[in-house]
Amino acid sequence: MGKRPPVVLLSSSSDEDDGGDRRAASRGPSARRARTPAAAPALAHAPSGSRKKPRGGSSAGRGRRRATGPAPSGYLKTEFDMLSEDFSECLNDLGMPGSIRQTKELWVDKYKPLSLADLAVHKKKVEDVKKWLEEKLKAPKGTFGGWTLVLTGQAGVGKSVTVKAIAAELRVEICEWTTPVPTLWTEHVHANSGLRYVSKLEEFENFIEKIRKYSLLSPSSIGSQRNLTIILIDDIPVTSGKVSFARLGKCLTDLVQSTQLPTVISLTQYHKSESNDTAMWNSEELESLLQGAGAHKIAFNPVTINSIKKNLVRICKQEGSDLTEELVHQIATSSGGDIRHAIMSLQYYCLDPRRINSSLATTAILPGLKGHDEVPGQDSDGRSSVIASPCGRDETLTLFHALGKFLHNKREPYGDVVVEVDSFPVKEKLRRNPLKMDVPEKILSQAHGKVRTVADFLYENVLDFIDDDAIDDAWTVVSYLSEADCLLAGSPIASARWMVNESYESESMTQLIAASVAARGVLFGNAHVSSSRWHTIRSPGVWQIDQSFRFRKDQILRERYDCSCTSGSRNFCDIVTEFKPFERWIGPLNDMPRSNSLHHKVEGGSSLIDRFGAEGSSSEEDEDAIEDW
Amino acid sequence: MLWVDKYRPKTLDKVTVHDQVAQNLRKLVAEQDCPHLLFYGPSGSGKKTLIMALIKQMFGAGAEKVKMENKTWKIDTGTRTLELELVMLSSAHHVEMNPSDAGFQDRYVVQEVIKEMAKNRPIDAKGKRAFKVLVLNEVDKLSREAQHSLRRTMEKYSASCRLILCCNSSSKVTEAVRSRCLNVRVNAPSEDQIVQVLEFIGKKENLLLPVGFAARIATQSNRNLRRAILFFETCKVQQYPFTSNQVAPPLDWEQYVCEIAADIMKEQSPKRLYAVRQKFYELLVNCIPPQSILKKLLAELLKKLDSDLKHEICHWAAHYEHKMRLGSKAIFHLEAFVAKFMSIYKEFLVSTFG
Repeated sequence: MGKRPPVVLLSSSSDEDDGGDRRAASRGPSARRARTPAAAPALAHAPSGSRKKPRGGSSAGRGRRRATGPAPSGYLKTEFDMLSEDFSECLNDLGMPGSIRQTKELWVDKYKPLSLADLAVHKKKVEDVKKWLEEKLKAPKGTFGGWTLVLTGQAGVGKSVTVKAIAAELRVEICEWTTPVPTLWTEHVHANSGLRYVSKLEEFENFIEKIRKYSLLSPSSIGSQRNLTIILIDDIPVTSGKVSFARLGKCLTDLVQSTQLPTVISLTQYHKSESNDTAMWNSEELESLLQGAGAHKIAFNPVTINSIKKNLVRICKQEGSDLTEELVHQIATSSGGDIRHAIMSLQYYCLDPRRINSSLATTAILPGLKGHDEVPGQDSDGRSSVIASPCGRDETLTLFHALGKFLHNKREPYGDVVVEVDSFPVKEKLRRNPLKMDVPEKILSQAHGKVRTVADFLYENVLDFIDDDAIDDAWTVVSYLSEADCLLAGSPIASARWMVNESYESESMTQLIAASVAARGVLFGNAHVSSSRWHTIRSPGVWQIDQSFRFRKDQILRERYDCSCTSGSRNFCDIVTEFKPFERWIGPLNDMPRSNSLHHKVEGGSSLIDRFGAEGSSSEEDEDAIEDW
Repeated sequence: MLWVDKYRPKTLDKVTVHDQVAQNLRKLVAEQDCPHLLFYGPSGSGKKTLIMALIKQMFGAGAEKVKMENKTWKIDTGTRTLELELVMLSSAHHVEMNPSDAGFQDRYVVQEVIKEMAKNRPIDAKGKRAFKVLVLNEVDKLSREAQHSLRRTMEKYSASCRLILCCNSSSKVTEAVRSRCLNVRVNAPSEDQIVQVLEFIGKKENLLLPVGFAARIATQSNRNLRRAILFFETCKVQQYPFTSNQVAPPLDWEQYVCEIAADIMKEQSPKRLYAVRQKFYELLVNCIPPQSILKKLLAELLKKLDSDLKHEICHWAAHYEHKMRLGSKAIFHLEAFVAKFMSIYKEFLVSTFG
């Protein structure tokens, strides 16, 4: 497979025709290669075969997970069987093993919005982008800076489509960066094909270089009638490591500062919690970097459920399939604001009318089950996330969202509680109303937070949420947190044994238990929630304290031996508790003005705290507001 | 030089406070058969002084020529190599170190140091193979594993080196180590003894002590000789000649804990709890050990408490002191104790006063 040079693809606004043969061209073996996360918007063009695979995995996993749930397993077993049966059928229908029989387009492409009216994106955002583009297109050439627009938002909220639709409406050309077929380094080594290895980053740099030259040339050579062009950069190469990130950053900054054509860069945002992968950390950094270079930013919100629903219904009508209202609603809610995903789910459902019935049947069974499930609070829209359609997106929560759930501690009002007959009797004092949320463990697993972090955050903030009279509650909560801390620390033996492989499993088990104890402790203990107010979540003070504690300790230890060579060493705690305080009066500080000792201390301490405050402001991005929802 | 160091008895003959112990130690050295020793007792009672004097008695003046070195130990654990930096004081005859400074890696230090010392045994003047002394401070702070490895190495190399262990509480040293040592308990000096020492220093320094002055310092020091001498010197620096009712300023961190205790007694609410937490933070930043904070805080609280509650409060303090050792973030447990105290105390107030 030849190595494509970076292409400046000039495509007319009739992008669809072109899309067809590009798809055909890319249906080579290379299309099955792993995609970079940043290529997500290009996903729509992928042949269906390679796309279905990962979804299969996640959907089967979902079924399995549900089967291990607390409900009677018999039903779930059959349900799971049904699901997997469905699933294999679907795979067959989609012609899994490489058969290219369907000439049908993916609905995502087929119903791509052609006009602004079709866009599911909020009107105002579209208007903003349009206004910006119009302004820039009219603006005189020759000025530098201010020519770049950064669009941010989750995957599938319609960033690129918006730009394309607007371009179509304004009749301007889009000059797009098309990701060349990547040569993987390992392949290159093995195939020994004589091709030069070019990293994606390099290719991207070349491309940017070309645009810059092109845009400089354009006013003079091509003339004024053809200058209605915008550049769309949709696929920023993934970088790992500081060096390559710096290269990318420089390259982009150059672009932003020197381009003279309206340039739109679309950045896909990832959930913070998902981005443990270092490669993805960039998206935020990149964003701020671009803004620093003078780019204008417009953030896209997830598409609203109603708007997704409207679009789904429209597609249904055009396809002539009659899905029930309920199912459409379900697809819409489980997509999490990702309209591309919603449409794909819809197509999946419409493949075979039988399936609709069967999956409806499963949802019909489940409410019956959930009737005596111990998990409460799924009556309204809570349910759709729990009983998601087989191909719903896995929901993720941000850490702060999860913390907010725990801290606010929403519960059902008392009247609604049906006293369960078979549950063992609990004292009145220990009884709590059912939670208005998922099981705490589930929330924790969705939030992907490290246990230590969660515990620290809970500890730092929980006191704000406890009613002012309820000191007993405060004790309960803090005591649970203290238990969790013990579990986390384990015995010193456990911490020293971390290199032994077999202990990994038990370690992570204690971690899970500790997380559970911390979260449930906070939920249980906080029996009298203070009236809901707006709170800011502070980042844990313990972290700063730990840091400066270690610093101080090192300092003291280093100083220790200077004075005491003759008389043997002193113990650390003796120094701190006895020698240090006295040093203020005798010893080196002899000449200092002798004011009251405690004043010294408090002043010193408060200036220390002040310094924390200053440091804390730098880490303020950690802080996040939690609103009462 | 601080008076604490200046008037430290250098030889066993000059030891005044624990003269009985000193005599026994002298006999021990005279018989040329020195077992492993474990000194334990409250801080400021003179353990270290006794140890230094004992070493001098064993090896003569040569033991006083100590040099400090910051040694890096390379330790091969099989899977990787650790590098630990540890400060130690050593002379030709002895090595002194605080292995607990190495944190949870302390056990490697203990093993490595003893092994190395055993390898190059010194030869004394008569050509006889002698032993070297290793002084380990704060043994009670060693992790359980380090103590276990200490036990093994103690037996293996007992021919070539003698250990002198020093700690505050023998209950935190494993049984196995304790039984391999001759245990020497060093009591806290009585107030009379402290007064004698202070008067001795006063005479040497040509100071005039008002009547009752030394006694007052002795009471304030809470039977901690080191603290008493430090108080004494502070008084001297602050005001001399002494006035009859002069008191040394209290230790600043203890004063701070007193304030915290007062805060707790005044109001019991989550808000106050949060305020208290900030004060704890400040203490912890200044490296005050959380155990000392808890101990002092308990003492302060007990002073003002109804006797009915004392038992329960002590129980919880012990409970959280234990948790503190198990856990890693002391502040969690300190605060849990305070919260429990507030909860109990509030209930008590409500039931008594309505």
